[in-house]
Amino acid sequence: MNKEQFERALQELKSGNEDIRPSDVVVFSEPLRSALNQAIRVGRISLTDFLKLLDLDREQGKQIISILVERHLFFISTFTSQVDTFYETRLSASTRPMTRLRPDVWKKVDD
Amino acid sequence: MSKIVSVHSFRGGTGKSNTTANLAGLLSVDGARVGVVDTDIQSPGIHILFNLDESQMVHSLNDYLWGKCAIKDCAHDVTDHLGAQAKGKVFLIPSSIKAGEIARILREGYDVGLLNDGFRDVVSEMNLDYLLIDTHPGLNEETLLSIAISDALVIIMRPDQQDYQGTAVTVDVARKLDVPKMLMLINKIPQSFDLDDVRHRVEQIYKVKVVATLPHSEEMMALASSGIFSLKYPDHPVTKGLKAVVAELQG
Repeated sequence: MNKEQFERALQELKSGNEDIRPSDVVVFSEPLRSALNQAIRVGRISLTDFLKLLDLDREQGKQIISILVERHLFFISTFTSQVDTFYETRLSASTRPMTRLRPDVWKKVDD
Repeated sequence: MSKIVSVHSFRGGTGKSNTTANLAGLLSVDGARVGVVDTDIQSPGIHILFNLDESQMVHSLNDYLWGKCAIKDCAHDVTDHLGAQAKGKVFLIPSSIKAGEIARILREGYDVGLLNDGFRDVVSEMNLDYLLIDTHPGLNEETLLSIAISDALVIIMRPDQQDYQGTAVTVDVARKLDVPKMLMLINKIPQSFDLDDVRHRVEQIYKVKVVATLPHSEEMMALASSGIFSLKYPDHPVTKGLKAVVAELQG
């Protein structure tokens, strides 16, 4: 990832602060999109592999990953060891804003 | 190695659920353990093909999404409905067919991330070889999620101008999500059409492998979703096409 790609990736990731949705990934630029696609499909990725995927140094990687963690796409995995940090990936987002109705209202419709 | 396969069409009525059920049936004939998830929460229907009625549904996908149960608890073993040919197992995770529960999910929505977790959990906890996801037509967050975590995507379309345009959108999005294997199936082709010509044209337009061209079938219509077509008509041309899809998924 060259400097321009890195700056663009940071800008795209910082453009929102809510959970990263599947539709966000679709519009990310390359090579960020491909790297995230791979991490999401596999479900778990090490810091070392993620840095390699994006050709980032540790400092750049730290900046990218901290946003991915903040936006709940990456979670630190229990597989993390002293040798390497692992991240679980989880796409999220509600299909509609969660608004709570009376808990029995839908049951009443079915009854 | 387990495989997650999304079965999708941009428009409704393409035979998506029917195809998903048939793929599950044929995979089980070859001895596979297959999970089928009906994520078409707004208009569920695949349970009909497996002869699972409301009274037999202990838990549905809706219950899992509302945190009432684990996803494994929603899986119903429907292998018996497939007959003696099934050497493996088929488990169906249906969506609720209760009007109030469908209305609730439309009204309140749900966290798509729970599907992410549920798909992975059910594959590992039930030791599945394949998880087939029957998606909702069109594109929304849950469909994109299904595609994003799938190892293969089967796109179904009919030779219809509206399908042609919509399918182009699906193919484009799937490419952006780097699906490792994208297959296309053209369904309900009128008898008067040349199947090879249709295949050639579609492959040229989308640059995606058309793995089966299925002619419109009177026998399929007559069966009216009361069973798994490919198991009832093992030598039918439609079954031959479906077997070609299965072979691609197994490869």
